[in-house]
Amino acid sequence: MPSALLELENVHCGYGQTSVLHGVTLSVPEGSIVSLLGANGAGKTTTLRAITGGVHWLGDIRFAGRSLRGRHTEDIVGEGIAHVPEGRGILTELTVDENLRLGAHKRKDRDAVRKDYDRVFEYFPVLKERRWLSASTLSGGEQQMLAVARALLMKPRLMLLDEPSLGLAPLVVRSIFEIIRTINQTDHVAVLLVEQNARLALELSTEAYVLEVGRVAVSGKSAELQGQESVRRSYLGY
Amino acid sequence: MQELIQQVVSGLASGAIFASLALALVLIYNAMGLVNFAQGEMAMFATFIAFTLIIHGLNYWIAFPLTLGIAFVAGVVIERVVIRPVERAPVLTLVIVTLGLATLVNGAAGFLFGYVPRSFPSPFSVQTINILGAFASFQDLSVIAVCGIVLIAIYLLLQRTTIGLTLRAAAHHPEPSRLLGVRVSWMLALGWGLASAVGAVSGIMVAPILLLEPNMMQTIIIYAFAAAVLGGIESPLGAVVGGLIVGLTVNLAGAYVPFVGGDLELAVALAIIVGVLVIKPNGLFGRAAVRNV
Ligand SMILES: Nc1ncnc2c1ncn2[C@@H]1O[C@H](COP(=O)(O)OP(=O)(O)OP(=O)(O)O)[C@@H](O)[C@H]1O
Ligand SMILES: [Mg+2]
Repeated sequence: MPSALLELENVHCGYGQTSVLHGVTLSVPEGSIVSLLGANGAGKTTTLRAITGGVHWLGDIRFAGRSLRGRHTEDIVGEGIAHVPEGRGILTELTVDENLRLGAHKRKDRDAVRKDYDRVFEYFPVLKERRWLSASTLSGGEQQMLAVARALLMKPRLMLLDEPSLGLAPLVVRSIFEIIRTINQTDHVAVLLVEQNARLALELSTEAYVLEVGRVAVSGKSAELQGQESVRRSYLGY
Repeated sequence: MQELIQQVVSGLASGAIFASLALALVLIYNAMGLVNFAQGEMAMFATFIAFTLIIHGLNYWIAFPLTLGIAFVAGVVIERVVIRPVERAPVLTLVIVTLGLATLVNGAAGFLFGYVPRSFPSPFSVQTINILGAFASFQDLSVIAVCGIVLIAIYLLLQRTTIGLTLRAAAHHPEPSRLLGVRVSWMLALGWGLASAVGAVSGIMVAPILLLEPNMMQTIIIYAFAAAVLGGIESPLGAVVGGLIVGLTVNLAGAYVPFVGGDLELAVALAIIVGVLVIKPNGLFGRAAVRNV
């Protein structure tokens, strides 16, 4: 069994008095795409927040074999986790280029950064056109592209994507998902994909977890979950 | 005409001084949504440090940058020690903390240096030089030049360097910035350091014009506050333009409007600012208060 890049073991957490996750265990193998599905309020966003240190948690979270306990967000992302948060986290006060530069600002390998810029502009030509404009002028889909591009410039080993399809036209969602697949295959970046659009997510991923009120209700190979009508009906809504 | 040019030059000189202190206020406001009421007192204290260095024989042009360095470090330390523990407190708490800090710094200056006003040495000759047939004071022109250089340096730092980029990112979008690896908490400290150093420039520039004593900055901070609000409180460029407008207005009104002598200058400046804000509530360079949800 290949060792997992990211492992959550019996993670509990919440906000103040309200507890949200009640013992979540999941793992993301190196270079894989894993979906995290579930209804509104199930705790998907909270799970991602726990991974990058946005909420306190109990249990254990390990990345590349090392526990992330007690580490600050800034350090965790420096280890190679790019987190595209719910709402995309675009810095609308800054330009498109400045957003991209922030993605790469910790990197020392300047030549590689320049190549990554070229590649990002190849994936998302619109970002090249809008490069010097304020990020606030981008449409929702373009902002999502910027968020993914910026994450790629962090040269991560793992990307956490929180509902990249939210509010976007189906065609735009398709093209973003295609690029996520390409990034995963050519750069061997593992992806933990949170989605409401279960059908698309299961097509893209190899494994999936379904959260229900803070617990993993179902998990398995994406292809198998797709094939089980009862699972689809009761948890995935299609 | 001659007289007018002279008044404009000295208006711009006062304006440059207000602009520096206003920029200091804006740097901290941007970083934490807080008006630092201690900014003027910190500048005054830094000026006393410069004064002490100079009267102990240090060359002015060594004492000046050295003081800015000390002010920078002091700003960082104040943020770490005084502000950090209350960082997440409600804004009103923070305001009270900066008011307390102002009182503390003022008292410390009085205790250490006394309340006797002292004349601060100026490296600029008192001569006038002839531009376009008008005589402008060399002192005023030098103040404009020094403040100008400092403001341009800050602009380049914020707009053209990676550290400036992370400072701006942390100030406007702390949560997403953290996810990009920006050390937001340190950026706040850095913002305080920068503000402290820029503020010190205003103190050192104004000291030869006024006299150096613990209450020296108390009027200047009001002009600076007015300048910052006029510029839109969030905009560094706005602070500079606002400072220059306030400086010019005060000087020209003082010179040409008969009843506006010394005492009324402050009132006139504030009245004009209120007028502008009635027309443009977000200031000249402010954005409308739209929040991204
Ligand atoms: N900042 C917060 N403070 C308090 N409670 C919160 C906070 N954020 C989320 N919650 C609560 O935690 C629970 C899980 O929220 P979470 O955002 O993780 O769900 P989600 O699965 O991402 O849902 P969605 O699909 O709607 O994004 C919800 O009941 C929510 O009300
Ligand atoms: Mg969510």
